[in-house]
Amino acid sequence: MSATTTDIAVPKRPSVFALVLRDPAAAVAAAFVVAVILAAVFAPWLAPTDPYDNDLAKAMQPPGSEGLPLGADTQGRNMITRLLFGLRVTLLMGVAAVAAGGTLGAVLGFIAAFYRRLDGVIMRLMDVLLSFPAILFGLAIAAIFGPGLFSVVLALSIATVPLMARIVRGAALVVMQQDYIEAARAQGMSDARLIRRHLAPNCLSPIFVFATLRFGQVILLGSALSFLGLGAQPPIAELGAMASEGRNFLFFAPHIAVIPSLVIFAVVLAFNVLGDALRDALDPRLRV
Amino acid sequence: MLRHAVQRLLMAVPVMLGVLLVGFLLMQVVPTDPATVRAGPTATPDVIAAIRADLGLDRPLWEQFGLYLWRLLHGDLGVSIINNVPVTQELGATIGPTLELMFASLIWSIPLGIAMGTVAAYWRGSLLDRAITAFTVAGGSIPVFFLGLVLIWYVGFKWQMLPFTGRLGPLWTWEGFQAVILPALTLGGVFVGPVARMTRTAVLDVMGADHVRTARAKGLTERRVVTRHGLRNALIPVVTLIGLQIGFLLGGAVVTETVFSWPGVGRLAVGAILSSDFPMAQGTIIVLSMGFIVINLCVDLLYAALDPRIRHG
Repeated sequence: MSATTTDIAVPKRPSVFALVLRDPAAAVAAAFVVAVILAAVFAPWLAPTDPYDNDLAKAMQPPGSEGLPLGADTQGRNMITRLLFGLRVTLLMGVAAVAAGGTLGAVLGFIAAFYRRLDGVIMRLMDVLLSFPAILFGLAIAAIFGPGLFSVVLALSIATVPLMARIVRGAALVVMQQDYIEAARAQGMSDARLIRRHLAPNCLSPIFVFATLRFGQVILLGSALSFLGLGAQPPIAELGAMASEGRNFLFFAPHIAVIPSLVIFAVVLAFNVLGDALRDALDPRLRV
Repeated sequence: MLRHAVQRLLMAVPVMLGVLLVGFLLMQVVPTDPATVRAGPTATPDVIAAIRADLGLDRPLWEQFGLYLWRLLHGDLGVSIINNVPVTQELGATIGPTLELMFASLIWSIPLGIAMGTVAAYWRGSLLDRAITAFTVAGGSIPVFFLGLVLIWYVGFKWQMLPFTGRLGPLWTWEGFQAVILPALTLGGVFVGPVARMTRTAVLDVMGADHVRTARAKGLTERRVVTRHGLRNALIPVVTLIGLQIGFLLGGAVVTETVFSWPGVGRLAVGAILSSDFPMAQGTIIVLSMGFIVINLCVDLLYAALDPRIRHG
């Protein structure tokens, strides 16, 4: 092997993954997020009992009772089981809303950046959507379709569209200035292919950061709507709905409302910390 | 300035009309016929038909929309299906408490947030900065209802220090003041974090600017540099961002009102939706949306007044 070609020391850029994990808080958050996702996915196998298996004799048993390390809820259902399944529904709600709203928003953002003629129309529309708080969409959609998980996911998706559209449009406008876009155009590449092959892949990091941060917010909003009774309906186990059920028994059995609330808090916190760390790692310019 | 204000006002009109249209269509898609509901379960078909004609439900949709706007302009939003009270009457009784709650929440959380953000930015990277940053992240992650339930459990129930259900009177009476404390702590509590975070970023931006270096170079005291040259300029983006966060506050208000049984618009809206009281639900949603558009408009005008670059730009 000749020494001249291989010995030049090129400083290896650390991966985003390594950069994020360098921050201890972010590492803990990442580990927690992974654990939470695994717990939600494997809930049916991890749960000690059936989520709808009620035993009124055990209703409102405090944490630490026999066979019930976290106690039982108002129907005597095992809190651990309810939490695992609740996590599943809550996370699924978040995934559905961020995926649906994020995808539509991203497509609109790309179109606005790529076809400048449509930019004004799309972004004005996004401004209008953006000027209403998510909770209002939640109220209006629950009024039309009736309370339920579908209404919550729809409302949160709609509230996510303009935010994602703005982020993607901003990122795409920067990429559109690059020479390689010009080069690809000169090659005679079709618009769809250009967006798919060159524009979209170069906008992925802000999309990813936003999706992570948005996921936390969506869970927070969704569980609030469920807490109000506009989201998941009993007997479905959903963290916000569980907190709402426990609310009426706060003084006799605080654990029924407090434990699910704490889980929501922890999950949202983890996603926020992770999102912040991702943003710092992917875009050092944003670091303050 | 005037031109900018007029422009913004004109832009708000189509949005308002859009909201009203959505509100109107909301009533068209719900599965209940208002005439049947109003007539009661024992009404004969011709009574229902008479009520339909009376309400204008037999006319074309666009005519109904016109009628609806006309009634709206005269303060008629229909009658509650549940208790037959005019929607405007209920709304009139609940808007005050909601505004009171928002005011009581903002009055302490905005100054505290601005102070925390300024301190964090000034001693950037210090332990204090990190503590404040951690607090703001945690504050942005806590469910409003959780904060409310914890305050009810400890302060209200265990320590018996403050009332925690309902509104006991106007804000300026002793009972009313006591009753608003816990809800205001809850709603303001989730607002401190975002305000501190925005202020920190804005102050950091400004403190690196040339005019701050000039102020230092001419020998001003550090305190004067921070308050007069740093914070003052940082407040422009902070005001806008706080304004844009009002929606966030409104969402929190809906939850806070429910947790504390506070007789506001948010609680009225949730109750109306849960009991399928469509006219009431429609009225509350319209009022909340309109309030929101007006707040946005005010923030925008305030921003232009604070920053001459906007109104001329």
